[in-house]
Amino acid sequence: MMAQAESPAAATFETDFWKDAKLRKAWDEIVPGEARKTLPYRLTQDAIALYCRAVGETNPLYLDEAAASAGPYGGLIAPPAIHILLMFACTPADDWMRSPGTVNAGQSWSYNIPARPGDTITLQARALDKFIKRERLFVVHDNVFFNQHGDVICCGRGQTIRPI
Amino acid sequence: MTTVNFDTLKAGDSIDGPAFAVTRDSIRLFCDASLDHNPLHLDDDYMKGDFGKTNFGGIIMHGMNNFGLITRMLTDWAMPAGAIHRRLETRWLKPVKPGDTIRPGGTIKAKQITARSRWVLVDVAVQNQRGETVAAGEAMLEFPQSAQAG
Repeated sequence: MMAQAESPAAATFETDFWKDAKLRKAWDEIVPGEARKTLPYRLTQDAIALYCRAVGETNPLYLDEAAASAGPYGGLIAPPAIHILLMFACTPADDWMRSPGTVNAGQSWSYNIPARPGDTITLQARALDKFIKRERLFVVHDNVFFNQHGDVICCGRGQTIRPI
Repeated sequence: MTTVNFDTLKAGDSIDGPAFAVTRDSIRLFCDASLDHNPLHLDDDYMKGDFGKTNFGGIIMHGMNNFGLITRMLTDWAMPAGAIHRRLETRWLKPVKPGDTIRPGGTIKAKQITARSRWVLVDVAVQNQRGETVAAGEAMLEFPQSAQAG
């Protein structure tokens, strides 16, 4: 069952971020307020398990079906910070968040309900602002993740420094 | 770990997270887990170049790896008490590189009771093995009225 845990999205996800680099918007072309293209993504238990391994999560609510079923959520859930994965899983290869050299400057996230394995996650996202500070080009991004019932899972904002 | 209780928590109480050894493999694993394959985290040749006025001198860990470690610390602390992680704001202050050992920590800043619930604000930070703060921020956790330690 865990045979594909190493690369749950490897079959479809382009890991060479240079390949589509020219298709992506530069800072100059990013329009604050304009929606980003997004894709629905089915969150798997394998993807959750791989994320847990990467940050050392051992909580049985994320990993042990029997324990999670007896717990407060009545089944397995994903860790709150699974949006780290969802940000890339729910956006296409030409999304500017993948531009090589994009440096994350900070983020803030609010959590409503947990994502669960088997959820089909959708994202509403846009650039909210862009500015120049100390010769660096910043973009503020704004994101809301939903489950298949239309419930908000989490929402967040972040700032990235754009490659010149 | 002692289970926390909203009534006895007070400003200045600390939360300790586990140490995390950063290696090329841990960064590579985070690439696979997050699908963030930015060459910042993979390509030493690329990282020999300058980023504006900054030169990192080699690959760096994902900033969001800090975010994931802080989250793990907070949920491990809050969940046994029936508390819910509601918000985390972070900013990255220094790059983290292979060979570093980082550790998240938190300090209770304030408690707040609202019309329908109870909240705890926590200052959070991640430090490296030299005691330098590499990430800092603030978290908000909800202790519902019904939350019982247990």
